[in-house]
Amino acid sequence: MSRIKDSPEFQRGAPVTIIVDGAPLPAFVGETIAGALLASGRRAWQHTRHGQPRGMFCGIGVCFDCLVTVNGASKVRACLTPVAEGMIVQTQETTP
Amino acid sequence: MTEQVEIAVVGAGPGGLCAALAAAQAGAQVALIDNNRHPGGQYYRQTAREFRGAPSSHQREGAALLQQAIAAGVRIIAETNVWGAFDDKVLALNDGAATTYLQARAIILATGAYDRPVAFPGWTLPGVMTAGAVQTLIKEQRILAGKRFLLAGTGPLQLVLAAELARAGAQVVAVLEGSRVFPRVLQHAGALWNQWERLSEGLSSWLTLARHRIPYRVGWGIVAAEGAAQVEQATIARLDGNWRPIRGSEEKIACDTIALGYGFVPFNTLSRLLGARQEWRPELGGEVPARDAQMQTSAPGVYAVGDCAGIGGAALARVEGQIAGSAAAAQVGHGTADAIPARASALARERRFQRMYAALFTPGVGLYELSQDDTILCRCEEITQAEVRHALALGADTTNEVKLITRGGMGDCQGRMCAHLIAHFIARETGRSVAQVGMLPPRPPIFPIPITALGVTR
Repeated sequence: MSRIKDSPEFQRGAPVTIIVDGAPLPAFVGETIAGALLASGRRAWQHTRHGQPRGMFCGIGVCFDCLVTVNGASKVRACLTPVAEGMIVQTQETTP
Repeated sequence: MTEQVEIAVVGAGPGGLCAALAAAQAGAQVALIDNNRHPGGQYYRQTAREFRGAPSSHQREGAALLQQAIAAGVRIIAETNVWGAFDDKVLALNDGAATTYLQARAIILATGAYDRPVAFPGWTLPGVMTAGAVQTLIKEQRILAGKRFLLAGTGPLQLVLAAELARAGAQVVAVLEGSRVFPRVLQHAGALWNQWERLSEGLSSWLTLARHRIPYRVGWGIVAAEGAAQVEQATIARLDGNWRPIRGSEEKIACDTIALGYGFVPFNTLSRLLGARQEWRPELGGEVPARDAQMQTSAPGVYAVGDCAGIGGAALARVEGQIAGSAAAAQVGHGTADAIPARASALARERRFQRMYAALFTPGVGLYELSQDDTILCRCEEITQAEVRHALALGADTTNEVKLITRGGMGDCQGRMCAHLIAHFIARETGRSVAQVGMLPPRPPIFPIPITALGVTR
C-alpha cells in the first residue's frame, strides 16, 4: 500500500489527479486505477450484492472483482485501466 | 466488416511473440492481438512506458522480441480483447469501443495462464490476492499492494516474488511451500542441466531471502484468512503428503496481504470455442487442448502454444511458438516448417524441465478441501459450497449442471475463477473424476463488452 520510492534508476510518470467518488486522488501517469487506489491505502472499492467488500484479486483482468465506473462507462476493470488527468471514477457504492 | 489476414496470433507473451516472428520471417502476413497496454504478457511484463527506469533482463528480452516482430512486419493490435471465435476462423475483437472481425487462414493461440484460484475461509477478504497481482503491480507500476506479506503457494516463482518484495522494502512474514520439495528435487537433478539462467535466478532469490531472514517453510500451507474489513491474520498449517492440513499443527501469523501462488491454470477458452478437443491433465494445470508435433490442435489450422496449452514456462513457450509460427506459415504457403527439426533438442530440454516442475509442484488434492460450507466458491455470483452441495442433492453431477442450478460460473469472470473449485468439490462429493465432472463450456462474449459493441455486424 505504498509507492516504491523513485531513485536515479527509476522515476514515475507525471503527476495527475483523478476524481474518485467526488474526491481528488493523486496519481502518476502510467499507473492503473487499481494501482493508484492501493497506493493510497484503499484495499476495497466494490461491495457485492451481499455487502461484502472487494478490491483487487487477480490483477491481470481475469477475475472482475475490481470493477469501477469510469467517465460514465460501467464495469471497467480498475487493474487494467490507466489513469488520466481529470478521469472520473465511481466505485460501486456511488454507481446508480 | 471482416478483415482478412493470413495468420492471427492471440497473446503477445513469449509464445505469441515468437510465433508471430517466426511466421513473419517465413513470409506470412501476421496480426498479433494483445489485451494489455504493453505487449509482453506476464513474463515480459513491461514497466509502464510513462515511467523512466532501467528495465530488467526479462523486460529487455521482451522489448527486443517485440521490436524484431515489428521489424519483420508483424502488425500489433494492442489493448484489444478477443471476445469471441467463430466458424471459419473468425475472431471478434473489441478495443473498448468498437468491434471488428478478423478472419485468418491459421490461428495461433498464445493466451497464457492465470494464477490458480484457491478457496479457503476468508479468501474473498480484501488483501487476499494472487501472487501475479502483487508481482504485476511491482513490475509495471512500482507499487506495493500491502505492507506485511504472507506468500502461500508452491514453486520457485514464490522465491522470486519474495525477493522482489524484500528488495522493495516490504516485510515478508513467511513463504509457505506446499510441496515437500526436498529431497525429491534430487531425483530430478538431470532436468536442471542446461537451465543455468533459471538456477542463477533461483539462487539469487534464495540469497535475498536469507539476507532478509525471511522464513521459508516447506510443507506448510494457508488454511484460512481472518479479519473484519480486510486481512489481519492468516491461519497456516503443516501439510501431509496430499497437502491436507495436519490437525493440531495450526499457527496464526499476522499479515495484511496474502499472495497466493499455487501454480497456474491454462487459459484455454479460445481453443475450446474453436472446437479443439481438450484433455484433463492436472500436471499441465488442468484442461488443455490436445496437439500434434506442429502444435496444431484437433481443429485444423488452429495452433496453441505456451501455457495456454499446458503450463511449461516462458522458455518452452518460445520454442513452441517458433515451431507453430513456422508450421502455420508453411500451411498458408510460406516456407517449409523447418523450425520443427531445428528446435527439436531445445523442445526436449524444456519438456524435461516441464516434467520436473510438474512432478515437484503440482498441488495435492488437499488444496481443494480447504473450503467449508459457508466458503464462497464462485466469487462473482457469491455461491457458497453449501449451495453447490444443495445442487448435487437435486441431482446435478457436472460443473455445467451446477451452474444451471446455482448460477455458479455465470458471472463476469465466466467461471475462470470458480470452475476448477466447483469441479473438484463435485468430484470429491460424487466420487467421480474431475475429467468426468468437466469444465464449463465457454460462451461468447468471453469477456464482458459494451452492448453497443454488438451493434456492428459482420
